[in-house]
Amino acid sequence: MKTYLIHRLAIAVVTLLGMSVVIFVLLRLLPGDVVDILFSTAGYVNPTEKQAIMRELGLDRPVWVQYLDWVRQIVSGDLGKSYRYDIPAWQIVRPLLPVSLELGALSVVVAVLLGVPTGVVSAVRQDTALDYVLRVLSLAGLSMPSFWLGMVIILGLVACLGWIPPLTYVPPGENLKLHAVQFLLPALAVGYRSSALIMRIARSALLEVLREDYIRTAWAKGQRPRAIVWRHALRNAILPVVTVIGIEVAFVVGGLVVTETVFNLPGVARFLVQAILWRDSPIVQNLVMFIAIVVILTNLVVDLLYGVLDPRLRYGD
Amino acid sequence: MGRVRVMTVAASVASALCVALIATSAAAQTPKSGGSLNVALREDLPQGFSIHETATISTVWPAMPCFSNLVLFDPLKKTESADTVIGELAEKWSWQDNYRNLVFFLRKDVRWHDGKPLTSKDVKFTFDVLREAPDAPAKLRINPRRDWYANVDAVEAADVHTVIFRLKRPQPSLLLMLASGYTPIYAAHVPPASYRTGCVGTGPFKLKEWRKGEFVEYVKNPDYFVKGRPYLDGLRYVVIVERGTRTAALQTGQVDVAFPGETPKTVAEQLKKAVLQLVVTPVSQNVNDNIIMNVKKPPFDNVKVRLAVSYAIDRRALIEAVHQGGAVAGASLAPKPYGVWGLLDKDLGTLPGYGKPAEEKGKARKLLAEVGQGPQKPLRVEMVTRAIPIYVDMASFVINELKQVGIEASLKQIETAQWHAMATCGDYQIGANLTGIGPDDPDANFYENYACGSPRNYSQYCSDEVMKLIDQQSRELDAKKRLAIVQAIQRKLEEDAARPMLDWRVDYFTVWPHVRNLVPHQSIYNWGRMQEVWAAK
Repeated sequence: MKTYLIHRLAIAVVTLLGMSVVIFVLLRLLPGDVVDILFSTAGYVNPTEKQAIMRELGLDRPVWVQYLDWVRQIVSGDLGKSYRYDIPAWQIVRPLLPVSLELGALSVVVAVLLGVPTGVVSAVRQDTALDYVLRVLSLAGLSMPSFWLGMVIILGLVACLGWIPPLTYVPPGENLKLHAVQFLLPALAVGYRSSALIMRIARSALLEVLREDYIRTAWAKGQRPRAIVWRHALRNAILPVVTVIGIEVAFVVGGLVVTETVFNLPGVARFLVQAILWRDSPIVQNLVMFIAIVVILTNLVVDLLYGVLDPRLRYGD
Repeated sequence: MGRVRVMTVAASVASALCVALIATSAAAQTPKSGGSLNVALREDLPQGFSIHETATISTVWPAMPCFSNLVLFDPLKKTESADTVIGELAEKWSWQDNYRNLVFFLRKDVRWHDGKPLTSKDVKFTFDVLREAPDAPAKLRINPRRDWYANVDAVEAADVHTVIFRLKRPQPSLLLMLASGYTPIYAAHVPPASYRTGCVGTGPFKLKEWRKGEFVEYVKNPDYFVKGRPYLDGLRYVVIVERGTRTAALQTGQVDVAFPGETPKTVAEQLKKAVLQLVVTPVSQNVNDNIIMNVKKPPFDNVKVRLAVSYAIDRRALIEAVHQGGAVAGASLAPKPYGVWGLLDKDLGTLPGYGKPAEEKGKARKLLAEVGQGPQKPLRVEMVTRAIPIYVDMASFVINELKQVGIEASLKQIETAQWHAMATCGDYQIGANLTGIGPDDPDANFYENYACGSPRNYSQYCSDEVMKLIDQQSRELDAKKRLAIVQAIQRKLEEDAARPMLDWRVDYFTVWPHVRNLVPHQSIYNWGRMQEVWAAK
């Protein structure tokens, strides 16, 4: 287990290094830079003044020097300074992180709570009216982009109730009920899509297991249906579901980008879009690296979970 | 007798009711202190509170409450002109030496938000920095309005509370440019760069918190130099990037005030239908749609081709199709009833593109034929525009119009990051563009957008004749004569197709009825001070 962990962590470091190069190069390939954007707010560009600002921001240095500088900063725990706001990047990012982490976690919880039970019900009631309804709902979930669903929720609330959740962040300590409402609706918008995928995977995996001999034996022995489905069948069908949940965590980040914008939640994902539009490299690079770390760690946790869920897959030293 | 008595009683009751109603109405109109308002923002402040380093409503609107000017357009009067300029930091002012010197006498009771007193040194500091005087104590990173002060020879702090602007020649418009929201006074003891992250002003509101990407919060400045102002205890500018969410926020009352220039006619109609009590005011934004053509490059170095483009575009159809009627036709200065200097309808009718569409298109085809282009040999050009819907909609309409006269334009959408670099360097053939102008004033507009060598003269049009006229109107002291010159310039610019104007956008500015004394002006850039605004909640 220890060897496996060290091996995986070593791969993670290499992956992150590769990611850092990709992020850095892609950002430099985008047309225009932060100085162009600064000038665009003034409606003109002056080449001499532009050069001076480039120098001030250190953007006139060779690209590889800028890259090494960034890596050195990350290693020393310094995230650099935002070009746009002229203050340390960490100072900006820090209050945004809990919002996105909470929304992301809530979205995954919604996805699992909706996806797994409906998948089980759909498999157990295969080819019944309920199965068809659930499959249509899951198809709808896969077809609806989360930003569209978010907008529909907002417009629906406006039309029906003349009310929408608060558009400025309400901390849980200030008003827990309002905070919950503020997060649940966007979590539903993001989680619904993931739940649809989880439901379909859970259904097909369970259908396969339900046709196994040992399940037939359990039925023949007169075991309680609930025990057969939840204890024997689902446990053996859960591995692909867990894999999908792990993959969906990465997709949830994508969903957050638009959902945070639609629901006006001050999270990392919404801020990332603005930072990209502004070519605010220190913010973009560090946020993307943060997201990469979250995805890599989630995958590691999923892989470790395999061993917990299936004794045959336990990692030996 | 009984009947008379009944009638007398009824009359008394009616009179009492009338008096009560009038009293209630008067009370409702009497400003009261307290409360706070939420105001929508379409994006976070692009360069903080550094108004002097930007030329966008996204900065000037949320930053104005922090600052004061020497003079300001009266917040309570909807039309901005020389007659509506009132003193702010300047108690009074006087033109001297036949409009060559402008002397300001400052108030003596003004303190910066950090407690230091305001002096004439702050004013001198601000304008020396802005005009980039040789001995300026600081430099702005970006200085978009340097040209506004090209005629200022020196700024002198005659004594602690007197400032003299010495001009190279008379320029009555200087006062109007000083009254713009774009002309706040900076503190001399604070580096200009610090305004990108915070705000030390003398304005009615003090900055409490700027949570990046989320909101800007102000509290009432208890030491504000106008006694009894501001009325509000606080202001919160909420950043809502998504337009649909912004509209929903206004509709549900989460924000009390819309973002200026962001409520088109269709949205206003939808809002009014949903919430009847919302107050919608149609008002000019001082923003126009126009066509930029690079006069330094073929084919638009030929005035006949430029004129053909201008003739081809049916302005009134564009207003209906693109803006659903939410814009007005006009030349290079905002038309009446919104603007002060614009051409009258009868004058507009004689300019390219304003006649009967079929006839105008015929003229365009004839001009193209004269330069050897026609249906058999269409003129192929690339039209650039910003990759923003309000630009693309307009560009698409224009391309369709051009096609009808034999100009085949392909559309190239340019990202914001590249747009101004491209336009300033003249790295394009033809483009669909939007231009916003600070104050509704000929100097602010002409020197910025049509003067030879100005960085915002994207067409790079340069005419000695027009420059002479621009200088002439700028120094003209007689209002009637000046208006005549200004109108002649506008006609000349359209006849040269320097930057054909398509329309002037109208904003349907929307607020909740409890928002009082927030009077939109004909330019969105100059009425965000908020000191007179009160909440009738």
